[in-house]
Amino acid sequence: MKQDLLADFKDQCRRGLQRSVTDRMRYGFNYVYKPVLDDAEWRSFNSTAEYRQWCRDNLPEYLGYGELSDLQRQVLDEA
Amino acid sequence: MKRESFTPIQAQQVAAAFSKHQVDYMFIGKSGAILLGYPGTTQDVDVFPRKDIENGRRIVSALAELGFEIDSTLGAEIVRGKDFVQIKNGPFDIDLVFAPDGIENYDDAKARVDMSSGFPVANIRDIIESKRAAKRPRDAIELPLLRAFQRMYEEKNP
Repeated sequence: MKQDLLADFKDQCRRGLQRSVTDRMRYGFNYVYKPVLDDAEWRSFNSTAEYRQWCRDNLPEYLGYGELSDLQRQVLDEA
Repeated sequence: MKRESFTPIQAQQVAAAFSKHQVDYMFIGKSGAILLGYPGTTQDVDVFPRKDIENGRRIVSALAELGFEIDSTLGAEIVRGKDFVQIKNGPFDIDLVFAPDGIENYDDAKARVDMSSGFPVANIRDIIESKRAAKRPRDAIELPLLRAFQRMYEEKNP
């Protein structure tokens, strides 16, 4: 992460840690409709892996549940 | 049912209902991190409950009390403890994650649970490991930020 972005994010963290738990929830939870994912009353899966596969197979790619690129895999490994 | 954002009052209601029905659980995922102070946003509530039949029955009772529509089929899936149950027919969206990626077992996670927010929240390191293990593109964006937050959080809460 670039240093100026990291410094900005650390400031956000500082403010988040100073907030009351009530304010953390007030600012932290926002509902936005997600196509397909939100189009069922409920769903269940025998394993988390099965759920991940359902997400990869059914959700629009831009929601971020698809396959990892090589770069994304590297980021996850290094974080 | 119209879905809205999870509110502080609902968090209190979840905690009260889960406590009343003696549900063994902890918040996990990004919702858990937000309770700890992580400056991000999310849309649903992730709960990691102990996987056993009695706890499942307690969850069904608590969720019904909170206004979720738990029919017999869904109730049976929860009691049976299917690894992942996603419910979107209540006052807010909730994922029951009985077997989160990257966490070996409930008792170990429970021993590390963080009560600093007043709610049972999985340890920030467990939250990060579960996101890493999920291997989703959305987590590749989030994980470096969660790791930076973890360092600051642990400095403040040694």
